[in-house]
Amino acid sequence: MSRAVPGPEDRHTQNRDTDSAGKATGCAEAVVTPPRPAGRAVAALAGLRAPVVWILLAIAFFTSISGKPVDGALMLIVAVGLAWDAGRRALRHPGAGEAPAPARTDRTPGRRRRFAVIALLAGAVIYAGLVGSFTRYSWPATAGIIGLGTVVVLIGWHAPVRARPDGRLPLAGTLAWVVVIVAGCLWELSALLQQPSLTADSYAHPTLSTLTDPLLAASPGRAAVLLAWVAFGWYLVKR
Amino acid sequence: MTWHEVTIAGYLLVVGGIVVLQLLATRTAVPVPSFGELLSRAMRSRTGRVGVLVAWAWIGLHFFAR
Repeated sequence: MSRAVPGPEDRHTQNRDTDSAGKATGCAEAVVTPPRPAGRAVAALAGLRAPVVWILLAIAFFTSISGKPVDGALMLIVAVGLAWDAGRRALRHPGAGEAPAPARTDRTPGRRRRFAVIALLAGAVIYAGLVGSFTRYSWPATAGIIGLGTVVVLIGWHAPVRARPDGRLPLAGTLAWVVVIVAGCLWELSALLQQPSLTADSYAHPTLSTLTDPLLAASPGRAAVLLAWVAFGWYLVKR
Repeated sequence: MTWHEVTIAGYLLVVGGIVVLQLLATRTAVPVPSFGELLSRAMRSRTGRVGVLVAWAWIGLHFFAR
């Protein structure tokens, strides 16, 4: 597409810090033209190709109709943001995957590392004890969960993609996992739909939430489950 | 057998399936990926990583948040 006024890319190629082939020699990153409104729409639509976005949209829908509008709204925000971000990246580098970051080398000295691990463990225990002391579905508990969840998701969103082995997973074994996990989700969904209403529990068809009610009714149970949740989140961030 | 027991048996079956697949992956030569390998695969892209982390956050929201 021709332009009367040179865009940022054109200015970049005329910059004296570029070599004869137009490659940047003085800039670390290429200059990117800000997307126009139509470009943003195309970006968001391109991002809809990611299956994760549709899964999050489905979670947002079912969570909202089962009486958890805050969860639903948060899932919707993340799904739209992820679609836009994935589409924007795809349009910026069409056909190219993200360049993975080099494998991490842990240079932290053993003593400092041990101190950091102990501090994180102590923080996790304090967090679980504090948030677990609040009643379920209260605003303080909600704020604690949303706060930590937001921090962890933002870390994952902005951290560079790590280099991983390129081997394919065995098809039959992977399918077995998919079957078991999808069966579990459908079983939970069928229990949810057989309740008297989406917001009323059923003894005959208990959902996982109903089954965990006795455990989460008391503060120690909530703290233990929260500690496991934090530990799993840490495991995911480290992967 | 009541519907309550049938529903719980269904959940136990799923949990059993997960345990069996994990044991097959880690303790035998059967070509089944472990749960960790599945997660690594899903988290290879930024979109996948964010999706997995959001699913984790959702679990906390679902059980504790308003």
